[in-house]
Amino acid sequence: MTTTARFGGGSRRGPAWDWARIRRVLRKSQFHFGVAVIVPTLIWYFVFMFHPIFQAFRIAMVDYKILDPQNSPFVGLGNYQKLLLNPLFLVSIKNTFTWTLYIFLFMLPIAMLVATTLSNVRRLRNLYQAVIFIPVVVSLVAVSLLFRMVMDPEVGQLNRMLDFLGIPPFKWMSSTRSALAAISGIAVWKSMGFYIVLLTAGMLNISEEVIDASRVDGANEWQRFWRVTIPLLSHTIILVMVLLTVGSLQEFTLPYVMTEGGPGTATYLYNLLIYEEAFTHIRFGTATVAALFQFVFILVASLIQIRVLRPNWSY
Amino acid sequence: MTGSVPALKPAPHLTSPWRNLRQGILHVFLGFMAVVALFPFVWMVFASFKPFKELVQSKALLPINWTTENYTEILTRVNFEVAVANSIYSAVTVTVITLLTSSALGFIFAKYRFWGKEYLFILLLSTMMVPFAVVLVPLYITIGDLNLVNKLWGFIITGLWSTFGVFLMRQFMEVIPYEYLDAARIDGASEWRIFFTIIIPLSTSPMAALGIFAFLANWDSFLWPLVVLNTPDKQTLPLLLAGLRSIYWARYDMWSAGSVMTTVPIILVYAFASKYFIRGMALTGIKG
Repeated sequence: MTTTARFGGGSRRGPAWDWARIRRVLRKSQFHFGVAVIVPTLIWYFVFMFHPIFQAFRIAMVDYKILDPQNSPFVGLGNYQKLLLNPLFLVSIKNTFTWTLYIFLFMLPIAMLVATTLSNVRRLRNLYQAVIFIPVVVSLVAVSLLFRMVMDPEVGQLNRMLDFLGIPPFKWMSSTRSALAAISGIAVWKSMGFYIVLLTAGMLNISEEVIDASRVDGANEWQRFWRVTIPLLSHTIILVMVLLTVGSLQEFTLPYVMTEGGPGTATYLYNLLIYEEAFTHIRFGTATVAALFQFVFILVASLIQIRVLRPNWSY
Repeated sequence: MTGSVPALKPAPHLTSPWRNLRQGILHVFLGFMAVVALFPFVWMVFASFKPFKELVQSKALLPINWTTENYTEILTRVNFEVAVANSIYSAVTVTVITLLTSSALGFIFAKYRFWGKEYLFILLLSTMMVPFAVVLVPLYITIGDLNLVNKLWGFIITGLWSTFGVFLMRQFMEVIPYEYLDAARIDGASEWRIFFTIIIPLSTSPMAALGIFAFLANWDSFLWPLVVLNTPDKQTLPLLLAGLRSIYWARYDMWSAGSVMTTVPIILVYAFASKYFIRGMALTGIKG
């Protein structure tokens, strides 16, 4: 018989509210430990999570006055209207979708290819993985500065390399046409290692027997990749896709540090809009409305991916 | 049907010359990816030792005139040491407290029974669905009410609990046998003692993963410190680095020196502990 730790009620026998039992529980070390951990936790979650979340719904409906918050006039859906009339709203949504699309298009094939290679290579796997992972651990702001130098159209190393190969120089972040793609390339370079590690771990987890079985059945490598590896990896792939979606839709640091949304509005992503509404224009209401839109959208997008892509079998 | 089994022709991928060629191709590709990942840093380190004129003109990787002036200028002009101290102080505090709160809650959620436990767990988990932008403004107001604007603790306090950490630690602590705890309880050990001498030593690998996670996330945190911390004496490293853009407009020598001082220490730590980093990431991915 195992006696699990308990504080509060638990036994099925006897009346639940019996002073002797309550006193016994109150004296228990488990009870003290539990209270000492749970009470500060509840306070912290209330102050820094639940209360702000509820506040968000209230702020979304008032014209928030910083100097006199108690007397912020109620505007109902006024903030929603203001946000929808802001021309940057649609621009930032369009940019953010394009951004997410770029991230998917660059990240998924590269990460899958590298992960497949890593799981097939016999020697030095850990070393390769460790080196490819380096960009993940370094500061994103430092990476932004680094690539602003490397991608400088005049003196950057990237154009020098292109020049060396005989390719005409490229404008990278200085042109409205290429800026978003260039920065999304940096985002992929920065976080590629993380997704590669996830996918490689998933691939190495596929049991040898299944692979052998497919071999005996005469599947070639191409068939094995599509019919065995991909389906058995679907949980990891869904995880990767959800993480990519959630992360891309909330990107802030890269466009803020590299281009501040420019040139023009080429890299003006949704979180830049939220930040600027809140802390440049001090419009707390519209910023929070924008954030609530984002909340709903991310929730729906994640649920759809999990629903649609989830395999309806298990092994 | 004859009794003899036909000899299987070895599959092409098992025969040696083809296999070697194939492995060779894989190595070439992975080597290329490794260079792609590493080369920008190598370039940056050498660039930081070039005088400005040379940096923008030369095509060579190595500096012709080595100089450490970039570093001395940046160290005297901006509060670099202060930013490093602020970053270390906040990242270490957040990491230590997050590890404590996550493992204590993981222990309670894994091993205790009390009314409403699962509801409480789901309530905490549900906060992971909320994007940070939703609480950005209300949290800023809260920090203002607590009088913590432009104080390092205004940045630290929001990171002391990690829902993801609680979830991760619970997953791992579920498998710790009850017998260990019972034996200790029969010997009269208090829960605190059980937590610190049994539970924590048995959970070192998820804690290492979570610790690295928490440290990096905090070290790299940008949006929230940007909102909360305004003056140079309170800045963390990412804020100081981002500030270099305007203090030194297009001064790539300064940028590279500042970036080197920020990234190289982390890369060095990583070089010795990469195993834990990668194992931790894989661990969290598979479990999550």
